[in-house]
Amino acid sequence: MDLRAGDSWGMLACLCTVLWHLPAVPALNRTGDPGPGPSIQKTYDLTRYLEHQLRSLAGTYLNYLGPPFNEPDFNPPRLSAEALPSATVNLDVWRSLNDRLRLAQNYQAYSHLLCYLRGLDRHAATAELRRSLGHFCTSLQGLLGSIAGVMAALGYPLPPQGAEPAWAPGPSHSDFLQKMDDFWLLKELQTWLWRSAKDFNRLKKKMQPSVPAVTLRLEVPASDL
Amino acid sequence: MEAYFYSRLLSKTGGNKRMSSSKFQWLSSIIFLYLVNQAHGQSRGVPHDLNCITHNLKVWDCSWEALPTINHGTYEICVINSSYPCIRTEKTHFEIPALTFADHEIKINSIHVSGNSVIKFILNERNVSLVPATLQDFNLTADFSTSTLYLKWNDNGSVFPSHSSVIWEIIVQYKEKMEVATVATLNTTLIGKDSVHHWNWTSDIPLECTPHYVKIRYYIDELHFFGQKEWSEWSPLRNISGPPVKENYEVFPRDKVVPVGSNMTFCCVVGEPVLSAQFGKESYSFIRLDRRSVAIKINNITVSPSSGTNVVFTTKSNLYGTVVFAGYPPDIPRKLNCETRDLKEITCSWNAGRPTGFFGPRGTNYILYERFSGRNVTYGRAEEHMNAIHQLIFQMITGQEIYNFTLEANNPLGRSEAVILVNITQRVCPHTPSKLIAKDINSTAIFLYWHLSGNFANINLLCEIEINATYSGQELRNITVRGLETSSYHVYMDKLMPYTMYTFRVRCSSENFWKWSKWSNEKHYLTTEGIPSKGPDIWREWRADGKSVIIYWKPLSLNEANGKILSYNVSYWSEEKTRYLSEIPDSQHKAEIKLDKNDDSDYIISVVAKNSAGSSPPSKITSMEIPNEDIKVEQIVGIGNGILFHWNYDPNMTCDYVIKWCNSTRSEPCLTDWKKFPANSTGALVEYDNFRSGTRYNFFLYGCKNQKYQLLRSILGYTEELAPSVAPNFTVEDTSSDSILVKWEDIPVEDLRGFLRGYLFYFEKGEKGTSKIQGLESGRSDVKVKNITDITQKTLRIVDLQGKTGYHLLLQAYTGGGIGPGKSMYVVTKENSEGLIIAILIPVAVAIFVGVVTSILCYRKREWIKETFYPDIPNPENSKALQFHKSICEGSSTLKTLEMNPCTPNNVEVVETRSVAPKIEEDTEIKSPVTDGPEEGSDAEPENHVVVSYCPPIIEEEIANAGGEEAGSSSQVIYIDIQSMYQPQAKPEEELENHLVGGAGYKPQMHLPVTSTIENIITADDLEKTAGYRPQTNVNAWNLDSPDSPRSIDSNSEIASFGSPCSINSRQFLIPPKDEESPKSSNGGWSFTNFFQNKPND
Repeated sequence: MDLRAGDSWGMLACLCTVLWHLPAVPALNRTGDPGPGPSIQKTYDLTRYLEHQLRSLAGTYLNYLGPPFNEPDFNPPRLSAEALPSATVNLDVWRSLNDRLRLAQNYQAYSHLLCYLRGLDRHAATAELRRSLGHFCTSLQGLLGSIAGVMAALGYPLPPQGAEPAWAPGPSHSDFLQKMDDFWLLKELQTWLWRSAKDFNRLKKKMQPSVPAVTLRLEVPASDL
Repeated sequence: MEAYFYSRLLSKTGGNKRMSSSKFQWLSSIIFLYLVNQAHGQSRGVPHDLNCITHNLKVWDCSWEALPTINHGTYEICVINSSYPCIRTEKTHFEIPALTFADHEIKINSIHVSGNSVIKFILNERNVSLVPATLQDFNLTADFSTSTLYLKWNDNGSVFPSHSSVIWEIIVQYKEKMEVATVATLNTTLIGKDSVHHWNWTSDIPLECTPHYVKIRYYIDELHFFGQKEWSEWSPLRNISGPPVKENYEVFPRDKVVPVGSNMTFCCVVGEPVLSAQFGKESYSFIRLDRRSVAIKINNITVSPSSGTNVVFTTKSNLYGTVVFAGYPPDIPRKLNCETRDLKEITCSWNAGRPTGFFGPRGTNYILYERFSGRNVTYGRAEEHMNAIHQLIFQMITGQEIYNFTLEANNPLGRSEAVILVNITQRVCPHTPSKLIAKDINSTAIFLYWHLSGNFANINLLCEIEINATYSGQELRNITVRGLETSSYHVYMDKLMPYTMYTFRVRCSSENFWKWSKWSNEKHYLTTEGIPSKGPDIWREWRADGKSVIIYWKPLSLNEANGKILSYNVSYWSEEKTRYLSEIPDSQHKAEIKLDKNDDSDYIISVVAKNSAGSSPPSKITSMEIPNEDIKVEQIVGIGNGILFHWNYDPNMTCDYVIKWCNSTRSEPCLTDWKKFPANSTGALVEYDNFRSGTRYNFFLYGCKNQKYQLLRSILGYTEELAPSVAPNFTVEDTSSDSILVKWEDIPVEDLRGFLRGYLFYFEKGEKGTSKIQGLESGRSDVKVKNITDITQKTLRIVDLQGKTGYHLLLQAYTGGGIGPGKSMYVVTKENSEGLIIAILIPVAVAIFVGVVTSILCYRKREWIKETFYPDIPNPENSKALQFHKSICEGSSTLKTLEMNPCTPNNVEVVETRSVAPKIEEDTEIKSPVTDGPEEGSDAEPENHVVVSYCPPIIEEEIANAGGEEAGSSSQVIYIDIQSMYQPQAKPEEELENHLVGGAGYKPQMHLPVTSTIENIITADDLEKTAGYRPQTNVNAWNLDSPDSPRSIDSNSEIASFGSPCSINSRQFLIPPKDEESPKSSNGGWSFTNFFQNKPND
């Protein structure tokens, strides 16, 4: 593992280490079982961190795709990326969801997105880009683990793991359509991260009264990430 | 029609050469046939215009024209004089097998209701046209990825005779308007059997963009057919319709890989209007191909970015695109090199050369193919970097030494290859040797072991061993070792130094040198000790008392000691006895032996160094010296870091020369170090790290005869001279009015820092504390310098000085290294008394002489002087108008001073005073002696009274200058004087009138008030004051006009000035007052000193 200074990968490792050791902090164990609060908090933080990391990755990747994908006002219709889990949801529907459903949808969405992202990693042409995608995949894997942890803490079962989404580009899938898919993948990832941040924030607030004695917030300045 | 038929026949015959011979015969037949037909046809309406064609040269198909009146009849066609049976038909054409090349008479009998008619035609092959059958069956396919059309057809060659040439014409049309895309012509030859022909064509426009249509026809040029040959009919149109069904709306071509510089057309097949088209960053205007398709044309495409260049068409609701990859075919692999490290596998490396611009699946693949063995290895698509080295590993084949490698590079645009033929045994670059180990054999030899992986059993290895020792430097030894399978090698290393820390490292190559391996890691190894190779360098010194001799030796160098010296053994012996001193530890490098110098016996002293391996050979020296009386002390200066000595060659000197030296200031025994030089030498450079500049050393040169030393020379020397560090200490021994005697002391040797070359003595006239001599600017004329080169001189007398004058003195010593600091001193010479006396006497004498002459002149000219300066003045006492009070005039002795004539007015006027100035009266009251008597009286002086009474201030001027401050004060003084003058007399009130009367006596005429008012107010005192003669000038004006006036000084001088004679005309004193500001002679010598000082200095 490369832990160079300033490397976001190194920072992620650091963050993960801190998060890993959070339960060992005596203050957190003062009241016995801290409940799901800390893990919700760390999932929320990880979501925000991934948002930041995605901003950097998307910039690089859209430049790699070339114009018009890297143009600011580029907004193509979503044609061939139907298989991607869409984060867009009606507000009423979203409100009507309970915590378990919300978490399950998050979990499922990221499971799929992670698979697609690994496909992206495979066909990226340059090593530098593959490295960035690899780092992001690892981070996303961490988020998936965190969500699973929250669900376990809340006593929710994990949603059934479906088969690997068959989204591998076939021979008729042109490079251009592949680029469109890549674009939509990044866009959906971004929207999902926003939605997740909102979900976990809501969940965090909801869970807060149950853990009044412990409020530890890990502030990670964006510039350090 | 017949004419046409005929003309056609004619035209055909023209083209046939074979007919030219029988042209005339032919023509006559035709004319005849024509005339017959004309006669019958026109008369009865029977068949005419018989026309025959053939599609395959085997069957002729003939047809004719017939009038409608004979339709529905029957025709009987017979070939005259032929075996062919006659044919009955109702149609107007018939088929007959091809006839031989001759004129055949065809008889057509028209059988119909109106009757029969027979018409005959002459038919020849020349009248028959060869029109190939229309090509109905051909195969048209398309490769959309390459936009290529493939056409395949059968030439039906079995029908025609072989070797006939066939010309095929193919037309490709496209778009809905069926524009011609291309017209192609193809030549083939029939081979007597059916052959399939292929033709392909690549479209500029992707085939998906718009439908393409193809048709074909052909022309058979059969040499043995003499009839007319014509093109076949066009085949039916075949079309290749656009995009695949699945993706109706697309942009084409899709994911195309093209070479840089290509021209490309991209089209978008879409049902809705296209709004814009974009290639990469740039927008392009599009062209419409047909109803659903638009296209853009890009010329000279540049290298694409790593993900390709996007081509995007935008409609109102959607966007469509494709990606094009423009790059280069792979460059020829450069610097292909194959070598082995271990004779087990071959590593081939190369440089990819120019980047292709392709990445990922379109990147370059490499295949390394070995021709002799037929094996190959492939290289995956790696990213391309300029000048990046790629490599492939090929497993060696047992027993094969020669390898012929072909490296093929390929990508979607092409392939290239590079070839190399190598004898792999000559391309060995071994791995880095490792595990270096040393094992000692003796103090000068070791075994060196190392590990070198690889199977080198069939070759010899050349290895280079680098040997580094701290003191002996670097050495490289090349050795050849037989290659092994076991990888363990060792060599014997000799000629090493005992007890030396060596650093070894190894690198290897094959005997047929190709490349060195990298150096192994270094191995440090200390060899074992050996006995010291020589005895120590020794010297002996007698103590001053001659009672003992000290034997010195120098420690052995590392390569002489061959180990750690543990101790020294010193022994000495004479003819009688041998003695040993106890063992001396290594730290000590001298020993004292009790001997008597006066004892005649000569001892040989021996010193032996010992280490753990053994003892060194002994070093010997005799205790006694050969005397030498003729020793002079010489001087020598070195050359920077050393001193060069020379001596004459002396054959008597059989052993060696020794130069020993010591610091001259150190106490005995004098020995710092020594050096030995061979007996045949005539000079030596003595260098010594501890030689210091500016330090005096004593050097002694000894020669050795028969193992006995003799002092040859004694030399004082400096490696480098420096300037003295201190100033010579000097004192002034004696001073006179014109000379100074200076005496100085020697500078100590330590401070001298060089051989003394002389002194510099500077002296300069000047006052104390103003010396510029320290700055010692060369060439300064006012600083005198004396250079004393006689270093034995210790005094100096400086003469020709000025008396009672200050001098700055400075003394500096100098050596070969420069001038040292100076000591300065200030001395004043004594006064010159004779000169002083002369200086006083001469002015006095001159003054007396001038006085006498002046007196004589005055006496002789006294009358003239009296007339000029003291004309007779009428005595007021003799005037009746002036009644002086006798008692006053007689009783006052001060009145006698009126006889003094400081002022002599030229004109006098006698007036009567009739009034007194009232202002004066007031003043009189204010300054009344009654009120201020005691103070005023005490200030008054008799002389003042006299003077003032003689030259009283002018009252009128007081009035005139009443506003002036200065005038006020002036009058004040005057009044005080006046008052004080009267004070002792204490005149009664009644006497005032007399005063008034007295004040009306003689008065100068100038500036006197003439108005009666003023005269009336004048007081009695003023009257008194104005009485008598007075200078007719304004004293105050002196103050304003003349800076030399008495008032400009002080009150005393002011008063004194009134006693001075003054000229009315010039208004100046004739005898100037004493100049207060002129320099005073404070002491007797001042003027003379000044006099001398003003003389120009010599």
